Amino acid sequence: MADPNQSAPEGRDPHSGGPALSRRSFLKGAGGVAAAGGALSAQAQAQSAEAATAVQTMRGTVEVTLQINGQARTLRCEPRTTLLSALRDRLEPALTGAKQVCDIGSCGACTVIIDGKPAYSCLTLAVQCRGKEVTTVEGLGSPEAMSDVQEAFCAKDGMMCGFCTPGFVVATHAALDRNPEADLEELKYELSGNICRCGTYPHVFDAARAAQAARHDGGEGK
Amino acid sequence: MQPFELKTPASLEDAIKELPSERSYTAPQPIAGGQDILTVMKDDIEAPASLVEIGHLLSSEISEEPGGLTLGAGATIQDIADHEGVRSGFTALAEAAASVASPQIRSQGTLGGNLNQRPRCPYYRHSAVSCFKRGGNVCLAEFGFNKYAAILGGGPSYFSHPSDLATALMALGASVVIVGPEGERTVPIADYYVGPEEALDRETVLEAYEVVTKITVPRPASGARTTYYKFKERDSYDFALGAAAISLRVEAGTIAEARVVLGGVAPRPWHSPETEAALVGKPMNAETWKSAGEAAVADAVPLDMNGYKVHLVKGILHRALESLA
Amino acid sequence: MSQPRIPAAEPSWGKRADLDVLNRDIPRIDGPDKVTGRAVYTHDVRIPGMLYAALLRHPVPRALVESIDVSAAEALPGVVHVLQVKEAGDELRYSGDDSVLAVVSAETPEAARDGVRAIVVKAENLEPVVDTERAKEADAPLVNYRRRADSNVAGSRARGDEEKVKGAIDASAKSVEVSVEIPTQHHVCLETHGHVIHPKGEGERSVVYASTQMVSQHGGQLVRPLGLENGQGDKVHVLTPHMGGGFGSKFGAGVEGMLCARIARETGRPVHLMLSRADEFAMGGNRSGSKQTLKLAGDADGKFTAIHVVAERHGGQGGGAFAGAPYQYEVPEVYLDAKSVKTAADSNRAMRAPGHPQASFGMETAVDMLAYETGVDPLTIRKRNLAAKMQRRQLDRVAAEIGWDEHPNKLAPGVPENGIGVGIGFGVCRWTPGGRRARCNVTVRPDGSVVSATATQDLGTGARTYVAAIVAEELGLEVGQVTARIGDSDLPPNVASGGSVTTGSSAPAIKDAAHNAREALEALLEDVLGAEVGDYVWKAGRVHAVGDPERSLAWKEVCALLRQPLEVSGQFQQSLYEGRILGAQAAKVEVDTMTGRVKVLKMVAIQDQGLPLNRMALRSQINGGMIQALSYGLLEQRVFDKEDGFLLSDNLQLYKIAGAQEMPEMVSIIDDSEERDSVCGMAEAPIIPGQSAIANAIYNACGVRMTRMPFTPDNVLTAIHGSV
Repeated sequence: MADPNQSAPEGRDPHSGGPALSRRSFLKGAGGVAAAGGALSAQAQAQSAEAATAVQTMRGTVEVTLQINGQARTLRCEPRTTLLSALRDRLEPALTGAKQVCDIGSCGACTVIIDGKPAYSCLTLAVQCRGKEVTTVEGLGSPEAMSDVQEAFCAKDGMMCGFCTPGFVVATHAALDRNPEADLEELKYELSGNICRCGTYPHVFDAARAAQAARHDGGEGK
Repeated sequence: MQPFELKTPASLEDAIKELPSERSYTAPQPIAGGQDILTVMKDDIEAPASLVEIGHLLSSEISEEPGGLTLGAGATIQDIADHEGVRSGFTALAEAAASVASPQIRSQGTLGGNLNQRPRCPYYRHSAVSCFKRGGNVCLAEFGFNKYAAILGGGPSYFSHPSDLATALMALGASVVIVGPEGERTVPIADYYVGPEEALDRETVLEAYEVVTKITVPRPASGARTTYYKFKERDSYDFALGAAAISLRVEAGTIAEARVVLGGVAPRPWHSPETEAALVGKPMNAETWKSAGEAAVADAVPLDMNGYKVHLVKGILHRALESLA
Repeated sequence: MSQPRIPAAEPSWGKRADLDVLNRDIPRIDGPDKVTGRAVYTHDVRIPGMLYAALLRHPVPRALVESIDVSAAEALPGVVHVLQVKEAGDELRYSGDDSVLAVVSAETPEAARDGVRAIVVKAENLEPVVDTERAKEADAPLVNYRRRADSNVAGSRARGDEEKVKGAIDASAKSVEVSVEIPTQHHVCLETHGHVIHPKGEGERSVVYASTQMVSQHGGQLVRPLGLENGQGDKVHVLTPHMGGGFGSKFGAGVEGMLCARIARETGRPVHLMLSRADEFAMGGNRSGSKQTLKLAGDADGKFTAIHVVAERHGGQGGGAFAGAPYQYEVPEVYLDAKSVKTAADSNRAMRAPGHPQASFGMETAVDMLAYETGVDPLTIRKRNLAAKMQRRQLDRVAAEIGWDEHPNKLAPGVPENGIGVGIGFGVCRWTPGGRRARCNVTVRPDGSVVSATATQDLGTGARTYVAAIVAEELGLEVGQVTARIGDSDLPPNVASGGSVTTGSSAPAIKDAAHNAREALEALLEDVLGAEVGDYVWKAGRVHAVGDPERSLAWKEVCALLRQPLEVSGQFQQSLYEGRILGAQAAKVEVDTMTGRVKVLKMVAIQDQGLPLNRMALRSQINGGMIQALSYGLLEQRVFDKEDGFLLSDNLQLYKIAGAQEMPEMVSIIDDSEERDSVCGMAEAPIIPGQSAIANAIYNACGVRMTRMPFTPDNVLTAIHGSV
């Protein structure tokens, strides 16, 4: 057990770093925790691909080619660059359809499809997507030629502010691919990795159902 | 995230060579699906100098034999949830997999990653604080915000273990196959997790230089039924507020065998022999479920804000057992 | 530019039966852009040479800064600029914008965050005072920083004769008393606050992309930080092409905007400064919490006689919001004492119907309790104490829709079977959406193209669509034939979007402009079609004189009569607006008393408003109000560590908002019964009563009175069993 002084009220000392072990002293100061990280960053700038050993190492800034929306796109990034940041901040021209909202895999606004499966691009390293097929909302359709799901979102008003919408559109495509016959409860489950704040959900469900119905009537979806 | 090197080994042997002898803030770590380690790094809980890719080296196969299941540690959670053999013969595991996080996480996250995920205590995850689990010497949840904290097995740290699959696999009597520099070893999952009283820098017996490669699950006894009942504060995408994995064999209305593991209420999946004792030999009815619930929480030590979990566990056990009736 | 003649008639919305565009389901005109990722939000603006900025915030509310060392950050590769906001010796007074210590701007987002991490801060942390109970204690540090303040309790203002009210309560046949607790809620705009500022992006003008609810007024605050003089506001060009939610939190540039402008000025480079999600929770605003103790009395028939309310507003550094008492219902004798308890948390901001959901929860709880106490059912007691006939009718409508007639628990709550109970609850709402001065320009070109332009912003309401649709209706065109231009401070000025004022202000101005355009065109038609201005019918892309449909011109033929573009302006017209709206809601829930799980099965809202401009977008808004209330009631709660004061709920994992699986069956009914021929906004009203209806439904289901929000399993189980 901890020294009771550490957490008992009388042990509290408002002077951070003072001799008494106060609970508050366990607050890290803002910043400062990782000067090492900064140093590492400084020394790791040089691009490097070590000679063909059994272990390939990637460090600093590297050039990678990713298969995005059917095109080979080359960009410079770091091993730590997320796929989301690569799409939004590193590609020229950028693909900003995937949105950065939570940046920690809890909202779905950055959803893309990687090799046919839905993924949070904020929880995916760009360099780990080498050799994989990445599809973003831009790859599903354009305003001039929308996918069936995109058309259904427009027809059913499956959006308000629209910031969660690209993520929902991609997640809906993935959901209908996984479970084409999903009933309403199953749809809710398949869309439960995406969050909307405006409260658009009922119309998103309407859109998904409309796209399902259209696929039934018209055979294959677009 | 702080800068790191990405190592891509050609074999598991090479990968293990890249792993460190001990854990530390900057020690190298393996990455497969990345669904937990990247959140740990984004929260600045750890800043590995390198990440060692192992996803391409792990089997993702799920194979069913008469004696049981073998699951590659690289199998995605979604694959486990969807597997016909798992659904029919190992229901608790399929239900646990289906209850994990969200479609995106299930599609990318692996079995190995799920079993080895780090705690979700809001203090542990907060970049501004240090605590027992982050090399400090206090558990901020003990006297702070502890609504989500453990009521069983807590101390000196009070987080509750977040893995759904671990809870289900423990009820099914699974084993964890581990590969390290010395070769392979197999650990019953009941012995795989360690509580904070044993170690604070880890939640498992896995060494920093080892990798989980597969999980074996014996087939439940003939006539046994299994379930995983996950209770979430929010139905959409949430960790367990409490959970119960149960394997039960009922003969002529009497419970012949029972295995009960609780999730979300202790710093590790919580095997509850007390609950099992309250069930075995008793009729399969609400009265038995009630006494099982009471047995489960008899030793509970709630903190300021998590006393409700004492009632919640009883409710969860009632609902889970009811679903097996 | 052609000048219209003196108007021949006042603009009017016309009869609903005659409308071809409005009062129908109109797909959003920006829908295709939004569903394909083409729509550019402030977050998405990319300019060559742009810097990414990241904030360093001190993690606790109160501290004395001993030193801030930015040298390591400045030395990092990729870091271009470090702005130190606080100095040694500065006192940090509260969590939020006062916690910003420095801003690092770099070539990449990663480098900016590396810079933040490399700054070394030494500070003496002080007692945080984030808990209102602590703040009220005599020995608590003073965190009420108003001049001459000597207490953290402020703004106490009592209204009514307390003795008389107490006497009336004592003399009444029935009375109830209840204390409720409401936590602080966040807006959680999915697009965080922030700007991209391009200094001298247009010659001598700075271009400011802002996620703002006031594109017309936003630039003023940035004049000084950009190094301009007062009066040089025209050198700041604000653009909000799309925005990812505001809900009341995005009025003004904020500290983050000022800092962004300053960095842009100092570096001469475009700067992208959007708050991180953690920043957003810490300094992006909140709906104030509240504690209330209500005593409500009534006669034997449930007619209210007196109410006594003591309320606290918990707005952190702000005053908090509370809409008063009695809330909505008629009560003859009233005593209200509402005060503000200050803490060292960031200030509350306006949030969709500020103060109203809090007041609704207290009042509707008391009303419900008095119903059961009196033996009058909860529907009847509400109707008995509401003045407006319309609202009584609305309650009957939602009751019918939710299945109240068949529901067994009318005079007493249900007894759960196997732990499960199903219940129904009600709540009502009203709002007074404003209508203020706004302007709009309509341009018709000889080639037939039409532009409708006004400096409003579309927060997700569908404003952009009606900017085009109103003009299309007036000119007999399809929506797609009119280009809407909004989100640009160079356009004719419009109002800040708060208090549901946007539609009531914009729509009349757009209508007026469209009307003026039509009359200007009709003046040209006199020689061609022979009728006087005001005597034409514009429909289906053609125009003809009244009574003479045979002789008509196609739209393009009309426009070909123009020798140059016709540009007319319109302004807010009082006659086109009226703002007082009423609504009612009902919720049906299932409660598992064994686990404390509350599942909302169904919600029904009926909402009256003016002429619905776009029925589909209106249903979206009503749904959105109910869903935000559901989320507020079931899940949302800001959590500070009380001891040290850091914000724990600064991410979307711990600060939970409702997701797809929380969605009940939802019925949004547009109340058309009055066929009003005026227009107004409505978005605030439907967010008000949902959490109250849910709490009342929980009681109706199982007899557990939820007085503390949110209705999470811990709070429900504690309400059932007491604390362990």
